[in-house]
Amino acid sequence: MDTSELKNGVKVLFDGAPWVVLNVDFVKPGKGQAFYKIRVTNLLTRNTLEKTLRSGEKIEQADVSDVDMEYLYAEGQGYVFMDIANYEQVTIRPEVLGNNKDFLLENMACTVTIWNGDAIAVRLPNTVTLQVVYTEPAIKGDTQSRVLKPAKLQTGGEVPVPIFIEIGEKILVNTQTREYAGRVK
Amino acid sequence: MTDDHIWRPRASFATLRARARMMQATREFFRARGVLEVDVPVLQGGANLDRGVESFRVETAAGPRFLPTSPEHPLKRLVAAGSGPVWALAPAFRRGESGLRHRPEFRMLEWYRPGWDDGALSEECVELLAALTGLAPKVERVSWREAFARHAGLDPVTADDAALRAALGEHGATPQGRDEALDLLLALRIEPALGCGQWTILTDYPATAAAQARVRMDAQGQLIAARFEIYRNGLELANGYHELTDASVLRKRLEHERLLRSDATQLLHDERFAAAMHEGLGDCAGVAVGFDRVLMIALDRTDIAETMAFPHEQA
Repeated sequence: MDTSELKNGVKVLFDGAPWVVLNVDFVKPGKGQAFYKIRVTNLLTRNTLEKTLRSGEKIEQADVSDVDMEYLYAEGQGYVFMDIANYEQVTIRPEVLGNNKDFLLENMACTVTIWNGDAIAVRLPNTVTLQVVYTEPAIKGDTQSRVLKPAKLQTGGEVPVPIFIEIGEKILVNTQTREYAGRVK
Repeated sequence: MTDDHIWRPRASFATLRARARMMQATREFFRARGVLEVDVPVLQGGANLDRGVESFRVETAAGPRFLPTSPEHPLKRLVAAGSGPVWALAPAFRRGESGLRHRPEFRMLEWYRPGWDDGALSEECVELLAALTGLAPKVERVSWREAFARHAGLDPVTADDAALRAALGEHGATPQGRDEALDLLLALRIEPALGCGQWTILTDYPATAAAQARVRMDAQGQLIAARFEIYRNGLELANGYHELTDASVLRKRLEHERLLRSDATQLLHDERFAAAMHEGLGDCAGVAVGFDRVLMIALDRTDIAETMAFPHEQA
């Protein structure tokens, strides 16, 4: 692709790795060649840095796509997901999930980033409703409190919750911030 | 139901009203100072040949014409004809320039002051910018060399190529040659730091950076150009010169510039402009101001398209 096609979200190949473009700035020094200053994040290492390319420079587009997949179950090698469009199954290694595995729920619709046929990232829906399977007994009546206590969830993950939450209750969890986001009736 | 993005204006009506007020204030500024407003053509007989700027070519029954990259040619022809000081707010076109601060079509405010030098014109330019934006005319004058010292921590004249490349390291840039390295440092590191809370006038550019300006020797024996640029909040707003009037020197420099271009065969010399320059421009200074960018500063916008009713992609 050409530098003029660069914009946010485009995936490019630098030094053999896939990078996503966060920001593009067209720069025109006084008298001469124009440049594109871009901020890019390495999709493998999550490292972010700046690159300045000459206008007209040819860039290789990275073969990266985001696929809608449904989480099925966990097994020895990893986590099994199913491509919602073609029902194909893939096992994703635990390292790629990272601590997203704490909130994985059966049939959860996730977005899996695939590069050259390999899953390199999994994005969970922003919030998920999960049941509290263990927490210290609730202190009744104190619904205004901002004090938090740890709670273990049905998926194995742990989040801090308000002290009035009881075992068995369903709560909304923000998977990106890993925080309690409300009670679910 | 049609997609609103297709036909509705980009700028808000409040912005368009502010833009109209700014045009009115510009008219009043020059009327009060006896500078004549003129109207200039867009189907120019020849192309502007500024290095690094690409023109649109239009085929007409009269042969190829070129959209102006600035109203410089007709304004200078008027001055050479004895018009006295003249100004124009005109459409300017630059192929391939698109970004937060660029659009292929924009509006250039440009004027010429016979008998003035770059120092005096830069002062008048700040007065205009202050009047149009409502910001105080607080000014700092910095030389090109000093700007590098202050904001890039090196001397652009004496620093070796390795030092320049190292300074560009954090921007992930690999410049080809010293001039490009200096240009990049200026654009990536220095410019964003200029015009913070005041108007910064950058002066004393190296002679190689201004083909049409007079040159002189500075106190350190460096050949510098009578050129200035004015910045606010890291945004370049104005570019002015004490114009070179020696016709044969100008012709040589312009031909040199034309030959450096890769599209030299696509462009035609503006012969009528060349003839005017041969006749003689007379001693004068001129400045070009990006009008849309001035509105960006006045309204604190980050995208130039927000100042336009119909930016290029929505025209």
